Amino acid sequence: MSDENEHGSGAVEPGDTSKRVGAEVIRERGVDPEELREKLIDAIGAEFTTYYYYTNLRMHLAGEEDYKEITEDARLEDRAHFELVVPRVYELEGSLPNDIRDFADRASCPDAEVPTPMDDSGNFDTSDLDVEDILEVLLEAERCAIRTWSEICDMTRGADPRTYDMAQRILNEEIDHEAWFIELLSKERDDEINPAGHFARGEPGDAPYSTNNRFNDSA
Amino acid sequence: MTQTPGETWSVRIVVPDTSSLDAAGETVDLEVGEDETILAAARSEGVWLPGDCQQGWCTTCAARLVDGDLAHPNARRYYDEDREAGFVLPCTAKPRADTTLIVDQYDDFLEFRADHGRPPGSSKLDT
Repeated sequence: MSDENEHGSGAVEPGDTSKRVGAEVIRERGVDPEELREKLIDAIGAEFTTYYYYTNLRMHLAGEEDYKEITEDARLEDRAHFELVVPRVYELEGSLPNDIRDFADRASCPDAEVPTPMDDSGNFDTSDLDVEDILEVLLEAERCAIRTWSEICDMTRGADPRTYDMAQRILNEEIDHEAWFIELLSKERDDEINPAGHFARGEPGDAPYSTNNRFNDSA
Repeated sequence: MTQTPGETWSVRIVVPDTSSLDAAGETVDLEVGEDETILAAARSEGVWLPGDCQQGWCTTCAARLVDGDLAHPNARRYYDEDREAGFVLPCTAKPRADTTLIVDQYDDFLEFRADHGRPPGSSKLDT
């Protein structure tokens, strides 16, 4: 080892804090870290908006306590996904949008709104709101998340093991969620038994795949 | 050409030379049923087109219509001005006539949406 380059590391000069080797190694392997970072912001925007919208959807599953419980698991796990990936955005020299409206606008999945219009008083018109309509919104939200995280797995496979690890953990849970809502919607709408193979989470929103590197432990 | 409902339409997909897709520079001809999306038909034929949400929301699949007619019955975020400007979303677009489109137009579409004050335009471009 030469005296001039004791801690040399590729294109990043020793002591240079303007660049991150953690990003440059991704670029060297053919992935644009800035493009990846922006895609991550879109993806966690969807996790964050879903966490919000699932709160409303859960509220309107009145009297369906088992559905509420499963929706609560999905809701809290989507928040856990947001918190899992936020640090990665900053590691890749990005940040969350300052305006939450921008964050929602760029979210990679649609708003999971309660499927009913507002009434004249500004409240939800629940007169024709069916449980199956809510379950369909939940199911399609999970399907979008599966597609999004699959894209991120594709983008990072073999090039960015840290992001890939996060994405595949989240993908595992989104696939669980889809199976849950297929089971519930099949029974509710079609009176068909279509098992998810679901075992209850240990605690609400346990996030068994994505929890061990969570931003904090309050979810 | 007139066809009855339920039949298929010829869809020509032009992938620009400048695209990063594997099929860059190629033109692909598909037969697509009227209940099938362009994206699903292409992927099932081994032609990988971009498309993340597949619900007509994220716009990563954006394309330009050269000729023909496409319906977007399930798109969550598709505006009249998109249609008038010839932008389409193959993830939810279903043919209603023989059609030709140029794919991989996401960047141009973001600019277009931003110019028209529509999401996700400026929320993506102002970062």
